Order: sequence, then C-alpha cells, then structure tokens
Amino acid sequence: MRKAIHILLLFITSATFAQTSISGVVTDEKGAAIPGANVSIEGTYDGTSTSVEGAFQFETLETGAQTITITFVGFKAFSQAVNLSGQPIQLKVSLKEEINQLDAVVISAGSFTAGEEKRRTILKAIDIATTAGATADIAGALNTLPGTQKVGESGRLFVRGGDGSEAKTFIDGMLVANAYSPSAPNTPSRGRFLPFMFKGTSFSTGGYSAEYGQALSSALVLDSKDKAELNQTDLGLLSVGSDVAHTQVWDRSSVSGKIQYTNIRPYFGMINQEIDWITPPASIEGSTAFRQEVGEHGIVKFFGNFNHSDFKLNNSDILNPNQKQLFGYANNYGYGNASFLQALNDSWSVKGGLSYNYNENNILFGNSPVDEVEKGTHSKLVFENTLSDRVELKFGVEHFQSSYEASRLDSLLKQQTIAFNTPITTGFAEAEIYASKYFVTRAGVRTEYNGLMEKLSVDPRVSIAYKPFTHGQFSLAYGQFRQVAQNEFLRVNQNLEEEKAEHFILNYQVINNQRTFRAELYHKRYSNLVKFMNGNPEQLTNAGNGYAQGFELFWRDNKTVRNLDYWVSYSYLDTERDYLDFPNASVPGFASTHNFSVVGKKFISEIKSQLGVTYSYSSPRAYNNPNSEVFNNGRTPAYQDLSMNLSYLPKPFLIIHLSVTNVLGRDNVFGYDYSETPDTNGNYLSRAIRQPAKRFLFLGIFFTISKNKSVNQLPNL
Amino acid sequence: MKTSMLILFTFCSAALFANDKYKQAMQTNIQAIYKAQSTEEIQQAVNSFERIGTAEKSKWEPFYYASFGYIMMSTREEDGAKRDALLDKATEVLKKASVIQQNDSEITALEGFIYMMRVTVDPATRGQQYSGLAMQTFGKALGLNPENPRAMALMAQMEFGTAQFFKSPTTSACEKASNAIAMFDAPPSADPLAPRWGKETALRVVKQCQ
Repeated sequence: MRKAIHILLLFITSATFAQTSISGVVTDEKGAAIPGANVSIEGTYDGTSTSVEGAFQFETLETGAQTITITFVGFKAFSQAVNLSGQPIQLKVSLKEEINQLDAVVISAGSFTAGEEKRRTILKAIDIATTAGATADIAGALNTLPGTQKVGESGRLFVRGGDGSEAKTFIDGMLVANAYSPSAPNTPSRGRFLPFMFKGTSFSTGGYSAEYGQALSSALVLDSKDKAELNQTDLGLLSVGSDVAHTQVWDRSSVSGKIQYTNIRPYFGMINQEIDWITPPASIEGSTAFRQEVGEHGIVKFFGNFNHSDFKLNNSDILNPNQKQLFGYANNYGYGNASFLQALNDSWSVKGGLSYNYNENNILFGNSPVDEVEKGTHSKLVFENTLSDRVELKFGVEHFQSSYEASRLDSLLKQQTIAFNTPITTGFAEAEIYASKYFVTRAGVRTEYNGLMEKLSVDPRVSIAYKPFTHGQFSLAYGQFRQVAQNEFLRVNQNLEEEKAEHFILNYQVINNQRTFRAELYHKRYSNLVKFMNGNPEQLTNAGNGYAQGFELFWRDNKTVRNLDYWVSYSYLDTERDYLDFPNASVPGFASTHNFSVVGKKFISEIKSQLGVTYSYSSPRAYNNPNSEVFNNGRTPAYQDLSMNLSYLPKPFLIIHLSVTNVLGRDNVFGYDYSETPDTNGNYLSRAIRQPAKRFLFLGIFFTISKNKSVNQLPNL
Repeated sequence: MKTSMLILFTFCSAALFANDKYKQAMQTNIQAIYKAQSTEEIQQAVNSFERIGTAEKSKWEPFYYASFGYIMMSTREEDGAKRDALLDKATEVLKKASVIQQNDSEITALEGFIYMMRVTVDPATRGQQYSGLAMQTFGKALGLNPENPRAMALMAQMEFGTAQFFKSPTTSACEKASNAIAMFDAPPSADPLAPRWGKETALRVVKQCQ
C-alpha cells in the first residue's frame, strides 16, 4: 500500500513538473495582431485562442515531442515541432496570408465577370436575365456594358470597333460556332443559349487569356451550371410561343430537358411590321443537359440542343417598290458539348471537352436556292497545376476542325459546289504568379497551326495587376489575337491569311461592398484584314488594316437607395479601318463614337414585383451615300431606346413577366440601303433601315411545379 | 491478483476519464457558444471545438458545433462577401461531421440553416434558388427524424417568411411552429451533447402568428 501511495505521489509530482507553459504572439506578415487565431497542440485538446493583441498563453500536461499548430481563416496554417519538458515555451509567429482571398488583386483589364456569386463580381448571373430591353438575351444584356456598340439591326455583340464576327462565344471552354439564331436581314438576332443555363459569365472586351483563340475582339466565356439540386417541371406560356422543361435529380447526377416552340406569326398579325413577311419566323427547339459528379471534385457535363427555324419575306426593289423578290430562309442547327473536370491530386487537375456543331442554311433568292452546310468540332485538353497558392500553371492542346460546303444552281440550272476544310491545331501555356497579394502577373503564349493555309503562328498575351489601395487596383494587358477569315470570304479565296489584332489596355477598378467604379483606356491595332482588290469582291487580299481606341467608364451602385440597383456605362470610341470595299480608311458603319446606357432595377415589395428600366443612347453611325463624292460620309440620326420590364410574383410558383422595348416609340434609323443603279435623274434612291416594329411587347406566364411550392422560375428569367 | 485488479482499475478509469474529458470539454464549450455575446466569444468556442474535433477524429459533435458557431458568426457580419466566407467555413466543417455521422437529421438541418443564411446575403438574387434548397434540406432532415424540433422550427420560419411575402395564408407555417414547440417541450435526449438550440426561433414565429 505504501508503495502504491509512493508511486501515486511520484506520478502527481512528475505531472506537476511536466506542466509546460506555452505563450506567444501571432501577427500577420506586416506585424499586425491576429485576434481569434486557433493555437493548439496537435492531437490534443490543449490550446487557446489569441487575444485582441494577438497574444496567447496556456498550460499543457503533455510531454515530449509535440507539434504546435496555429490556424486562422485566410492564412496558411503554421506548425512547429517542440519538446515539452516543463520549460516555458515562447513563440513569435507571423502567419502568411493565403492569396486566394476576397481582397487579393485580380486581373481585371478587359474583363467583366458575372456569377461566382461568392466573389466580388461586377455583375451577377441573374443580372443578365433581368436587364430591361434585353428580353433575356445574353448579348442584349452585355450591350449595356462599356466596350460594346449598339448595332440595333444585328443584335450581336460589337466590341471596341470590331464587327459582329470578332466576338466569339465559348461554353465550358468550348468554342460555339453560329452562336446566334438566324434572323431576317436587318432584324436583330438572339443568342441561341439562354442565360439561365449558366452559373457564370465572363465577358472580355480584350486582352484575354491564351486559353481562348480564334477571336479578334472579344471572348464571351459561359460556364454552365453544375448538377441541379431540385426536381421540378417548368411551364411557360409566352406571347410568342410556349415551353416546357423538366429536371430530375439524383444523388450525384441530374438530367433536364426542354422543348420550346416559338411562333411570332400571331404577334406580327396584330402589330404592323416594317417587313413584308410572307411567313414570319417560327422555330422549334429541344435541349437537354446531363450532369454526373465523379469522385470528390470531378464532374462530367453534357449539353445538346437542336433547333429548326424558318421564315419567308418579300424584298421590294428600292427603285421600283412594286417589283418584289422572294427571300426565304430555313436553318437547322445542332450543338453538342461534353466536358469534364477532374482533380488528379492536390495540385494537378485536368479538364477537357469535345463540342460539335452543325449549321445548315437553305436560302432562297427569288428562284435560285443556295444551300450552305457548316460543321465543326472542337476538342480540348487542359492541365492545371497549382504549384502553391502563389503560382498557377495552365497548359493545353486544342484542335478545331471546321468544314464548309455551299451549293447552288447556276443560271443553266447546273449544280455548283464549293467546299473546304479548316483544321487548326493549337497549344497554349500560361502562368499566373502572385508576387504578393497586391501584385499579380499572368503571362501566356498561344501557338496555332492552320492547316488550310499551312501556317504556324505564335501569339503572346500578358497581363499584370497591382492593388495599391484597399479596394482600388490598376491592371494592364497586352496581347496578340487572330482569327481565320469569314467563310464567305474563304469561299472566294482559300489562301486568305488570318486577320490579326493587337490589344493594349489600361484599367482602374474599385469594387467596394456594393459599389463598383471602373475606367478603362485601350488601343487596338488591326492588320491583315480582308480587302477587295480594286473594289472587286471576287479578288480578295489581306491588305486591310485599321485601329480602334477609346476610353470607357462604368459605375454600379446597389447600396445608396434601398432595393434599387443601377449601373451606368459610357464608351468613347475612335476607330477607322481600311478593309473590304473601302476606298480609304474610314469609320465603319457599325461603329458609333459615344455609347451610353443606364440600367435600373428595383424590387417593389408592395406589388411583389421587380421593375426594370434601361435607357440606351448611341451617337450617329456612318453610312455610305453613293450620291456623295466622299465615302462613308453620311451620318444616321442618334439611336435612343427606353425599355421597361416588370416581373410580378403573385404566388411562389408563378411569375408573370411583361417587357416592352422602345416605350417612347422613337423611330430609330440604323442606316440606309441604296438602289443598285441610279434612277433616270442619275440619283441613287435610298431606303432607311428601321426597326421591324417600333416596340416589341413580350408577355410570359411561367409556372413551376415542384414538391416544394416556394420554387419558381425567377432565376431563369 | 491485486496488482492486476489495480491495473485494470487504472485502465478503466483512464478510459472513463478520457470519455469524461471529452464530454466535459464539449459541455463547457456548448454552454459557451450558447451564451456567447460577441463574435470573439463564438470564435473562441469554435476554435475549441475544432481542436477537440481534430484530436478525437471519430466524434461528429465538435464539427457540428463548430459549424453552428460559424453560422452564428455569419449572422453578425454585415459585409455580404465576408458572410459568405464564414458560411463557406461552416459548410467545410459540417462536411467533416457528416463524413463521421452519415444521414444524421441534426447535421442535415444545420446544412439547411446554412442555405437559409445564404439567402440573406442577397435575397433578390438568391431567394429562389437557396430557399428551395433550404426547404428541401429541412424536409430531408425531418425524413431522417420526424421529431427534430430544429428542422421543424427552421422550416416554419422559412415558410412563414414566404407566406408573408406572398400575402398567402400562414396557417401551415404557424402549425409547424407550434409543432416544433411541442417537440422542444418533449423530454430532451439523454445525451448531454445533443443539440438544444432553436426554441426561440419557433417562439418568434408563433408570436408573429398571433
């Protein structure tokens, strides 16, 4: 017994002896105290939190070799091996900040990011769907941002003095050819993909990453949504058709499908149109999306859609309005996109994809039919390596294969066919290096081998960003960009080289809690543009060139007035180019010097409605008047539009959406067509290109059927 | 024999002591988190829970309460982006809990609570998506344990808010809130570490119903 007591006593004393005091101070790299950091001896309960001064002190009964760990949100974990022997331990620890934090500098030159809700982004995914005047069209909403020029008769994105073909769309990294639905000449087309499909949108007006190629002016990068979370069925009754969609969700996968029928005929029957329609546009579209989660972080996505649309109209001759020519158009379009993302280990990940598109146009001019078939595949494999939180590497290979075939009957009713393939193989590599949380550099290079003209090219891209202030930062970008000439030109001359552009961008941006200010200055140089030799469209060269420069301002505020969110954009553009049939350098017809937009959205809870208003202004555009000695000397009137929309939520599962464009009914003129030959007095007669109707009115009623009645389609609108 | 008995006794008491140590540490910190008046106090309790969780490895409660603590911190944060960062943290530690204890009603209810808080960051944008997700998750929690008062109370609150917004009858929401109170008033679980919070939420809804 005595012995036992002796032993017990020994234990207690040795325990007392072994009590070790651990104390110290935890700061950040600049020496500022970190309060609330978690200090612990790994694998034990022992530890404490740091005080307001960053100090800590605790006792432990543990002995021998142990590890002290210190953690805090936003900092890298610190650990140190210690030997606990009863001797007090004092530590002075400075934690290293993790870079990927909310307030780290980001490369902002040229790019507008929407989505990734958790980050501080300029736009949210839903903004694109709820902008008045855009009628849920992605390009329509982006046209209210700086860097774009409104080209009302086209509906496409025209970026910084570039034409509509210079802005390319990518879905999950894969190029989308023919991203816009067909439309009658001089009427706006809509994007084929609805904004609600995407969780994130990055709209770049220049200086974009080496990952994106074959785009001269702009890359619109859309990230599709991940696995759906809710089972639901959606029904939409629209003034121009109807749609039905269903989503089924499983533990790790989801499938959704949608069928949409659009017929604008009844609407055009009621509202007078500028166009002499025989059969106004109608379309049927089916789409499906499949998602499967793989492993811990992997996902496989598939998206596919098919669309058929057609219309017929009469074009009347300008000189002799009674002389009409039939213009008919039918389009079949199919697009499939499969992509995957998989983490290989902690630092490596791989993503890739395959997309296929099929676009068939059957065009009828009077009695002569022309058929066009464009097919394309794009395959891509990208590896990403996070060397540390400061260095990220990305490299990949891509292959584009596109084919074009056109056939028509010549005057002797003989079939004429022209066909060619454009294979392009590319490789790119890019590194993003954070010198600190305040300075980042992104440098990349893109090489392309074009099999049609058998040429290899190398394009560098560099961006840097520096954040000297808490919220404000500067960003600079430089890059070289290229794209193959349009099929309509390659059809004539398959030896045409790629058109080239060089971008220089300086950006300043402040993103505060709910206010954003952004200013950007840029210069863009074009070379190798397609040009008609001696004005002959059958003789094409790459002798064209041009420039665009300007500055842009953007302000967004959803804080000052409760429930009101608004943004204001202004763009100044100075551009000239000497290309196509231009006799000399001149302002192209799609460019306007001043573009101004105000977008406002307010939720009015009394009437359970969101009201949206958009005002847009574009200064006069150039057009060529053949009666004038000077080329492109004419100027259209300025363009103005005031659009409004209202989304009313009477019940949790029901939304009624009404939108009206051009509320004030302004008669906007986009340009003039001239007769091909002069009249008897030697004058060319003109006809204004106007909006097909002054206003466009849209009414939609959307039901959602789900087990849970609080779900509705607002995120889809 | 005597010695072996003694050794056995020592072992047993050591094991008991270890378990007691866990319970005691947990109870102290659970009390602390319920009583916390400031972000700092919550952070301290959360830190303790994370220490305990890392040391124990097979217990889900420390991560559950750490997640609860981060949600509580998010309710005190004004800046939306920072609130999201705290909710990210809440999600991250709750995942550790759900790996240890799969298909648990309490863990699922807390997951729904996180979705509910996500809505508050930007109701106009997120309302529809996250409120649907929250309701679905509360439903799942009640499927796992129909007597989970917290899942019932949070569901009542969510439903009440929606009904108020659409000026539709609040009957169903109010019924759920009274149900939740009845569940809260039932004899509590014998487990001293079982979650006890949430009655105020139900009471608040009942009060608004009157």
